[in-house]
Amino acid sequence: MHKEAVHLLREVALAILPVSLIVCALQLTLLHMPWDVFIRFALGAVFVGGGLFLFLFGVKTGLLPMGEIIGAELPKSGSVKYLVFMSFLLGTAITVAEPDVRVLAHQLDFISNGLVPRNILIFVVALSVGICVGGAVLRIVVGVPIVKVLVAGYAVILALSFVTPESFLPIAYDAGGVTTGPVTVPFIIALGLGTVGVLRGRNSFSDGFGLVGLASIGPVIGVMILGMIYG
Amino acid sequence: MNIILDFLDFRHVAFELLLAFAPLVLFFAYMQKRALHLPNSYVLRLMKGVALSYVGLVLFLQGVTQGFLPAGTEIGRIIGEAPWRWALVPLGFFFGLAATAAEPAVRVLAIEMEKASGGTVKQKPVLVTLSLGVGIFVALAMFKLLAGISIIWFVVPGYLLALIMTRFSTPSFISVAFDAGGVATGPMTVTFVMAIALGAAGALEGRNAVADGFGLIALVALAPILSVMTLGIFYSRKRSG
Repeated sequence: MHKEAVHLLREVALAILPVSLIVCALQLTLLHMPWDVFIRFALGAVFVGGGLFLFLFGVKTGLLPMGEIIGAELPKSGSVKYLVFMSFLLGTAITVAEPDVRVLAHQLDFISNGLVPRNILIFVVALSVGICVGGAVLRIVVGVPIVKVLVAGYAVILALSFVTPESFLPIAYDAGGVTTGPVTVPFIIALGLGTVGVLRGRNSFSDGFGLVGLASIGPVIGVMILGMIYG
Repeated sequence: MNIILDFLDFRHVAFELLLAFAPLVLFFAYMQKRALHLPNSYVLRLMKGVALSYVGLVLFLQGVTQGFLPAGTEIGRIIGEAPWRWALVPLGFFFGLAATAAEPAVRVLAIEMEKASGGTVKQKPVLVTLSLGVGIFVALAMFKLLAGISIIWFVVPGYLLALIMTRFSTPSFISVAFDAGGVATGPMTVTFVMAIALGAAGALEGRNAVADGFGLIALVALAPILSVMTLGIFYSRKRSG
């Protein structure tokens, strides 16, 4: 436990310090931002670093084993309908708790003064991830090749790119990137491996992966549709 | 003094995240009752971990909303209004490089690649290619917002290139490449570098913070896919030639 904590502390420091040092160097040479802004940055680094440490430690001792247990249990019921529906619910629930998604929603709120209400954006992203996770599990059960689904997904994104209001495109693409965060990935991979493990006979390795890639297609499409409504 | 008070007022984030964690905990409680029936002591231990995640996330989000977000956008605004605003491109490169080179997830990926290639691909070239790749793509994102080019012109060719490259890469490299998309979007990139881009886009005349500022994460997610596949092509050539 102690050794793990030290290891984690080192990892968090390595993730945060290099960029922070560049900011300090810039402040002294080029930026000369007001010192209260600099203090905000420094306190932010302390809070983000400390928070990340506690959070990741909790992920290892709580969320990760929880994801593995649920991922192994769900496919056992034998009912495909139940499995797909519960995977949908799980995908939605984890995305609501995903920090990266929340940060993106806060950023949009902060700079646009509520162009899209924060909770609506989070809800749409979460629902899209849920649908994709349910669909991805169904894909594993039915046995559709992953490449076909990926190509179809990206084709839809490409087609929608031409009808989405210009100002919503970047945030839609970004929404695809933030769903691959520290909470979502372990849960989704555990669910995929659990499903494949129960349906022995499939090429388990290549079948279990690809869920993460599929899960990041949904939010892009979801936010594009949201943009058509709000734009 | 005000700043410190801002940081210590946890009410908003604490409530927001309570709602964020509720669905997951309820889901688990339902599963526990219906199917899992884990021993209480084990459930208690899991819940302690979840509680720790919650406290950590409250601190994290507080640091982002009170610290990185306002400070980052202010830094972006200062640069965007300065005559040397094009320095944002090289600065972006260094930010991307610094955020990736030390990022633990990237090192895990490098080890994975060494395994996937049966030892022919050493960890160091992977680390170097990935860090340079992310640096270049953050620089590209800054260039995009300074020049006001639409994200489509980067994302569409980027993914087309990735699809074309799959034809020349081995399957093990392809699967690692696409799973690696999320690796590079580390905590500093999503929270802080992004805020700088938003601030700069808001300060530039004729640019819109929403339309030109976002898109950084999407570009950064492309970087590892293209870097890993480039390595894959390079190494398969080397082996056959």
